[in-house]
Amino acid sequence: MTEKITETLLLVDDEPGIRKVLGISLADLGYRVLTAENGEAALAMFRAHCPAIVLTDIKMPGMDGIDLLKAIKGESPDTEVIMITGHGDMELAIESIKFEATDFVTKPIRDDILSIALKRARDRIAMRAKLRAYTENLERLVAEKSARLVEAERQAAVGQTVEGLARAFSNIAGDMRGGIHYFNEMPCYVSIHSSEFKIVAANQLFLERIGDRIGARSWEIYGRNSDARPSPVEETFRTGQGQRARRRICLADGSRTTLMVHTAPIRNRERGVELVLEISADMTEMNRLQTELRATQTRFEQLFDEVPCYISVQDRQFRLTAANRRFKEDFGEIEGGFCHEHYKHRDSSCPNCPVAKTFRDGRSHSHETVVRSKSGEQYNVLIWTAPLRDETGEVTQVMEMSTNITQVRQLENRLSSLGLLIGSVSHAIKGLLTGLDGGMYLLGAGFAKSNEAQIQEGWETVRMMVERIRRMVLDILYYAREKDLKWERIDVVSLVRETVAPLEKEISEAGIDFSVDMAPALRAVELDTGIIRSVLGNMLENAIDACRMDASGRKHRIGLRVRPDPRYLFFEVVDNGIGMDDKTRESLFKTVHSTKGKRGTGLGLFMSGRIIAQQGGAISVTSIPGQGSTFTLKIPRERNASLSPTRS
Amino acid sequence: MAKTILIIDDDPVVVKYLSNLFQDNGYETLAAASAREGMDVLKGTVPDLMTLDLEMPGGWGAQFYRQVTKEERLKDIPVIVISGVAGRHAIKKAVAYMAKPFDPDKLVAIVRKTIGD
Repeated sequence: MTEKITETLLLVDDEPGIRKVLGISLADLGYRVLTAENGEAALAMFRAHCPAIVLTDIKMPGMDGIDLLKAIKGESPDTEVIMITGHGDMELAIESIKFEATDFVTKPIRDDILSIALKRARDRIAMRAKLRAYTENLERLVAEKSARLVEAERQAAVGQTVEGLARAFSNIAGDMRGGIHYFNEMPCYVSIHSSEFKIVAANQLFLERIGDRIGARSWEIYGRNSDARPSPVEETFRTGQGQRARRRICLADGSRTTLMVHTAPIRNRERGVELVLEISADMTEMNRLQTELRATQTRFEQLFDEVPCYISVQDRQFRLTAANRRFKEDFGEIEGGFCHEHYKHRDSSCPNCPVAKTFRDGRSHSHETVVRSKSGEQYNVLIWTAPLRDETGEVTQVMEMSTNITQVRQLENRLSSLGLLIGSVSHAIKGLLTGLDGGMYLLGAGFAKSNEAQIQEGWETVRMMVERIRRMVLDILYYAREKDLKWERIDVVSLVRETVAPLEKEISEAGIDFSVDMAPALRAVELDTGIIRSVLGNMLENAIDACRMDASGRKHRIGLRVRPDPRYLFFEVVDNGIGMDDKTRESLFKTVHSTKGKRGTGLGLFMSGRIIAQQGGAISVTSIPGQGSTFTLKIPRERNASLSPTRS
Repeated sequence: MAKTILIIDDDPVVVKYLSNLFQDNGYETLAAASAREGMDVLKGTVPDLMTLDLEMPGGWGAQFYRQVTKEERLKDIPVIVISGVAGRHAIKKAVAYMAKPFDPDKLVAIVRKTIGD
């Protein structure tokens, strides 16, 4: 098989083994293979992806292959469906051919027979494509021919007008030479010739474009000598009949153009031809106007295709009759499909459809919704509709324009999470300032009373508050800053030691037993140590707080375990503190959540979770109320090249 | 005999601050870190005044206040709300609402005006 296959193929079989093996060989042949395990799943997948070829087992639990075949052919007659039949299922195989299956192959499937069936399917697809191209080509040819016909009609119409004018003029004009100014406003060249074949008068356009040729010979503007083909004026004098001819002339600016020349005799009282009126229309001018019209059309088509939104036109049944390039790129070729199929992947029209409203009241409507592209991505779109009316003013179609506002919505979400953050930060700051006031009050009162113990207490409070403020500021900086990750190779033992050191005093003051358990095989790993230190410190602080808040009176313990597996490094912080119920545990990673009253900002875990996820890791937690919690930080041992260096 | 003030706040720093402030001004103080502790304290004694934080573990300050005032002997204790959350109307009968961070002189002035020295 040398030709390049680009089709998508849906493979349906309830046996996982067949899906796997056959899937691999089909992918080897170059198909993009989708699989489904039963008829219902297959139909859903078919609607979502519109594969060109479906390869389905006949016997399946639930919706079987024949029902699937009927459903697919009902929705999309052009889809090629190949049936897989078991040995001895000939009746079913023949029945499936009745329902327009492309072919059937029997189990066990032989590669060569499958290839033949697939080739037949592809040939049929190619044939249909050719037929479609031919039909479209035919339509184009018809359009061109009719355009030419219209052109000819138009030329004939110009000729008739000129003749009519000349005739009318010959009736009213006593002195043709003086009457020429009547023609000044006409968008064609008008001249009057004497019986000596001399130009005796010409209108303004003639003088401007062809030049002041008064007195020149009638044929000179055609750029020839007197001995060549006679000019229309000469013919008119000779025959006494009006002439019509296509002639090329040379304009005053040196350019050449083709004129449609009409002449009419102007007779004297004795009915002899005294003068000849020549009126010429510039064909290139008409062509230019037509070209301009075509260019305008093309520009509109380009605009239609290139505007940064999805445009479609729908009839009263919501069938798509036109769609721009962007629409087709993201939602597939329209081919007579319905709006709700392309946008929403559903079988019937949507509630609150703005197009339906426009059909009802003839006005524009807007609507915001979420749509799904052909590749399964969800977009937030803002839809505007506009009525398209026929000559009688009736709305026959509706144009729908949708702008993708997914990024705007994402930004909004981020802003509202920032708002929550600011709320919780300002709340925390109020608490910290009150604490700082308290510390300063104790200091002041202690000094006033020379009370050493109170001074000491006040100083400790101020120190603690400053430390909490410092931590909070660092938390906020981590959240707010777009920063590159700083990868460095580091020894895990010293990383843990450095993280634990600043907390040791707090741990021993709270009367907590602390132990570190590290697997002996731990060697250097590559990490952003700043972030790991911050997150691990955060987890340890949480554990200390959980022990402090537990009023059970038991002896408290915190254990830090570090263990590796081939891909990840796990840091586990185990405490026997107050513990959490499920609801608290679930809300831990939300911005404003704090279980610690005035003690916590509620920022720590929210930010830790985000930062670690960005590094390809995760934070998880198990907990039992009254018994304690285990926080686990999982982080890849090596830098993952696919991860973005900055936070989105 | 010195008047007694019950301080209800879950932040030990704030409790320490208020205790010292009130003691330095000649009052006796009791403290509770949660609604539950507050109820326990009130079982044995009826303070002359309470300061109450609105946001505490184990219960919203306003709920706690409703529960307290159900008891005849407790229902007339004046309450000063000292809180970081906007809750001016959470307890309608409160003597005053002090937003954190608060002015200590102003707080003492209110206490003095409410229950005397």
